[in-house]
Amino acid sequence: MIKNNGKKWWVPYLWLLPSIILISVFVVFPILIVFRLSFSEISKAGVVGGFAGFKNYIDAVHLPAFRTVMINTFWWVISVVGLSTLLGFIIAMVMNQKFRGRKIARSILIFPWATSLVIQASVWNYIIKYEYGSLNSVLLNLGIIKNAINWRSSYQIEFIWECAVGIFVTIPFVTFCVLSGLQSIDESLYESARVDGAGFWNRLFSITLPLVRPSLSVSTVLNIIYVFNSFPIIYTMTKGAPANKTDTMITYLYMLNFYDRKKGPANALSVIGFLILCLCSGIYMITVMRKEDEA
Amino acid sequence: MRKATAILLSTALFSTALCGAALPAFAEDGDITLDVIICQYGPNTNEWFLGSGMDGTNFVDKFEAENPGIKLNLDVVSWNDVYTEVDTRIANNNAPDILNIDVFANYANEGLLLPVSDYCPEELLGDFFPSFIDQSVIDDTVWAVPDLASARALFYNVDMFEEVGIEVPTTWAELEDACQAIIDFYDGEVYPWGIDMTTDEGQAAFAYYTWGNGGGFVDENGEWAVNSAENAEAINYALGLVEKGYTNPNPATQTRYDLQDMFAAGKLAMIIAPNQLPTYVADKGGDINMATANIPANEGKSSSSVGVMDRVMAFKDDSAPDQDARNEAIGKFLSFFYDPENYVGWVSMEGFLPAVNSAVEALVEADPSFEAWLEVLGGCQFYPTAKAEWDQVKQGVIAAEQNALTGADIQAELDALQEQLAG
Repeated sequence: MIKNNGKKWWVPYLWLLPSIILISVFVVFPILIVFRLSFSEISKAGVVGGFAGFKNYIDAVHLPAFRTVMINTFWWVISVVGLSTLLGFIIAMVMNQKFRGRKIARSILIFPWATSLVIQASVWNYIIKYEYGSLNSVLLNLGIIKNAINWRSSYQIEFIWECAVGIFVTIPFVTFCVLSGLQSIDESLYESARVDGAGFWNRLFSITLPLVRPSLSVSTVLNIIYVFNSFPIIYTMTKGAPANKTDTMITYLYMLNFYDRKKGPANALSVIGFLILCLCSGIYMITVMRKEDEA
Repeated sequence: MRKATAILLSTALFSTALCGAALPAFAEDGDITLDVIICQYGPNTNEWFLGSGMDGTNFVDKFEAENPGIKLNLDVVSWNDVYTEVDTRIANNNAPDILNIDVFANYANEGLLLPVSDYCPEELLGDFFPSFIDQSVIDDTVWAVPDLASARALFYNVDMFEEVGIEVPTTWAELEDACQAIIDFYDGEVYPWGIDMTTDEGQAAFAYYTWGNGGGFVDENGEWAVNSAENAEAINYALGLVEKGYTNPNPATQTRYDLQDMFAAGKLAMIIAPNQLPTYVADKGGDINMATANIPANEGKSSSSVGVMDRVMAFKDDSAPDQDARNEAIGKFLSFFYDPENYVGWVSMEGFLPAVNSAVEALVEADPSFEAWLEVLGGCQFYPTAKAEWDQVKQGVIAAEQNALTGADIQAELDALQEQLAG
């Protein structure tokens, strides 16, 4: 054991203790409970019985909505993380330019992220409401449309709206991550590139992108986790209706547990979701970090 | 270092385990503490039970003053959270002593509840409307008592009906004619008819139409019969209304509250709603001249109102040192709650209908409109909540309706559900 500067070896652990306790109580312990429950028989009222083996997992995979929900979850994560990263990156590039009112623009940008998701989703619900939604009344008053449009005419469109709201609230996070990366890039790099005759795209791909990659990686991994686990937007806007066609895994397992009272399969799905997340973020981290090491 | 981490982690886990265990209620010697969960019916519930909404005092203080030796640990929980809370408490072996909720069959079937006869004084048990008590019986045992009820009826906008010059529809055919007349008159600005097939209450829509067509959740023997031809015909009729544009456009996501808002704003002409609708509309600032009528039924079939009732039940607690004293305390809680002096205030506060005879007189005296509703309540049908598969049926018919809204064949959907129930 190395003693640094005569300090006791346990001092760092003492400072870590509060975090360790918090994480154990609110993260590790519940995860262990869910793992245990997913292998137990659970009654409709929630009474935990004996060991059930993989029965809950088999039941979960055979649920009629399972396929739809997995496909929805895939598109939800891909579209929200992908598009918010792309748009967030572009906005960050703009925000990095010097212009009047830049500070105000930056503070406005953080609003969607600072507001609670339930409020966001409810507000969007009102915006796109057919009967007295503000989108319709604005368009009607401007004379752009003659009759109110039903913005939620099918479940596919409703799901697209949910993704759009997801993207809208995720953009600020990406923007600020990227912006912090952009600001750390030395301006002289661009200047010398310009002198060497590099155009906008050249500078983007040869200087900007490689140098903001660490920030982008962090924001992407965190976003995959946040978006996959995001509950409020879908629950507030459609509750998965009609018939789970707009559910993602998280809202579906909630409905399964507390509405359908299929508690065993719901716990099994939670574990499946956890493992998928571990896998996705694991693969992403490993590939990105390997590239960074190579770079 | 690893060892230290392990020690820290295990200490943390151990302390968590301790926190998770049920903390016994600290009471004075001989005192009995009852854990009570009450659902939040509206903004007044909390005030009445815990604040100062009961003539300056509250239920808990008044009860404890009148019943020395019994303490109440009473929580008012929102309807959104109550299932989660109760399930979690049951899973942690920490069920409440007294629970106010709508469902009871799962708890009874799993042996978690005390039979009502164990704790409810006989005089009080005889005071409940018998048709209500019948809804809480499994295997000839009463497992819960009703705390209040509400009844559904057709509400219509009288001014609109006069303007258009139509009569209140009583049959499905008349309903379609009325809808068409309203559409023509207002040029589509007003929805004639409201349908809620959401996850919130799609089972109510199922009841409104199937009961009005001689069908329903169960057959005459009380066996599940969700896929009867009458049911499929009824739901197809409702889907037809949506298709013809007579209803709100998104029945799968527009809840009854959305519809009530539209009705209050004068954008919806007819709605099937509970007896509290006038209060709701007034609270929303709406000024609608409304009247009630029977829910329209198919030609030659009888109309049937939908009754919704919530319940109070007591959980077993094998760890209680003196079971008789505990039962007696629960009985005292009920006697106090249903005492007309307290109960009338409770029921009328949120505009509900009573569940006991002794409250009727005082309620009618305070508000004569109650009388008509009590009559409606007398002819109500209830959801078959005493059957163990009710959760599955409720979610099943909602999913069937929602699938049918997106183009699936309702008969096939209901057949599949019936097959699941049989299997």
